[in-house]
Amino acid sequence: MLNVGERSDPNVEVHKFFSGAVLAVCLLALVFQAFLHKYGRWSELIDLPLLVTIYFGVSRRNPVTGLFLGGTIGILQDALSHDNPIGMYGIAKTIIGYLASSIGGRIDTEHPLSRFALVFFFFHFHQIILAITQRVLLNHSAPLFTLRLFLDSLVTSAFAVPLFALLDRLRRPS
Amino acid sequence: MIDTYSRHRPLALLAIVVVAQVMLLAFQIKGEHDVRLIRYWAVALVTPLERAGTWSFSKVGGAWDGYVGLRNARAENERMHSELDQLRLRNRELESQAAETQRLSTVLNFRNAHAEASMLAAQVIGSSADPTSHTLFINRGERDRLRINMGVVTPDGIVGKIVEVLPNTAQVLLINDKDSGVGALFSASRTHGVVRGSGDPEPRMEYVVNDEKVQAGDAIVTSGEDRIFPKDFPIGTVESARPANPFQVIRVQPSARLDRLEEVLVLLTQQEVVFKKPETPAAAAAAGEPASGAKTATANSSAAPQ
Repeated sequence: MLNVGERSDPNVEVHKFFSGAVLAVCLLALVFQAFLHKYGRWSELIDLPLLVTIYFGVSRRNPVTGLFLGGTIGILQDALSHDNPIGMYGIAKTIIGYLASSIGGRIDTEHPLSRFALVFFFFHFHQIILAITQRVLLNHSAPLFTLRLFLDSLVTSAFAVPLFALLDRLRRPS
Repeated sequence: MIDTYSRHRPLALLAIVVVAQVMLLAFQIKGEHDVRLIRYWAVALVTPLERAGTWSFSKVGGAWDGYVGLRNARAENERMHSELDQLRLRNRELESQAAETQRLSTVLNFRNAHAEASMLAAQVIGSSADPTSHTLFINRGERDRLRINMGVVTPDGIVGKIVEVLPNTAQVLLINDKDSGVGALFSASRTHGVVRGSGDPEPRMEYVVNDEKVQAGDAIVTSGEDRIFPKDFPIGTVESARPANPFQVIRVQPSARLDRLEEVLVLLTQQEVVFKKPETPAAAAAAGEPASGAKTATANSSAAPQ
């Protein structure tokens, strides 16, 4: 049985990045997400902070750093929104960061198709966590699945493939 | 024990972090507290980058707009220059056509005013290649019944005579050519002489004695004695006169603009014509009458044809 909390196998390749690259990319993702929102609602289709959480999670393959990175990104995303209580995205992305790091060492995350499928899965999982959080803690009727969410997940997954290929260039040669 | 903790440490951390955030959420919801500090830090972290992004976007966008605008302005400028050139060309064509219409109209009016004389309009198609020879070529010739020694005139005055006739072309010797000579007289005093070319643009009036009082501006007309031009056709005016031995030296300013001839009339017969000064189309229009009307001014009307 797969123990997702288990440390990565030492024999599994762990990608290292240039110093400051992770921090800069996460910050840029948050900035772009907030910045592009001014130029049209199309930017809502793609959740850039979620994508970088997944990417660095599956690349670094360390659940502890994955959950903290996801948590930090999520909390900042909450903080930058006007009406979200702090922690809503934080909880969802903490879990996603943890899961992505745990899964990254066990399945192929380099192939574009597997990346597409991975993002598609995490997108909906992220949405389910958000919906549960909103329903249970905030008493909001958030949907678990809609056609719009399905289309958003396809767009985000398609966008993730070239974005991940771009981010691969920030890896330090092993 | 230690190994179990080590194996489940990430999961435990996850639980702690998630629980902490749940509590934070509960704290915000239940007490309606806002965690202003976190928001403040997040905004302080992101807004400088956003400001830089906005500034860069506006600069790049402005530069791009300026570049596109400049390109459009340049293309538009080129298009307008091209259009302006075409319009200038068209304007010149129209001006040329208008001038030609005016000249032809003047010639036609003159011809209509002298219906008793048989004339043929001709167009000047060239001139002599020799700068000392004052001749020109017209687009009429033997097929148009032109013969040597026929007079060539314009509504302003005489031009010269035909010296060579080809089937479709004729050569005209201008009155300022050194081989040219026209029987002439002063319109006022009726003193006779001969207007002879000197090779200069202005011909001379010869055989006028020193006792004859001649002033600049005196009109000189044909005498009809050369049997080429009818009597009393304008030749020109006295430009200057000075006594010499044995005759005065009188420089004549031709009435016809010999250096700018485009349309001329060939006198097909040597029938006598009462010269009537041509009326311009503009003057005729101002008078409200046809240009070829009967009210054309008659120059030298007192001089009866001989």
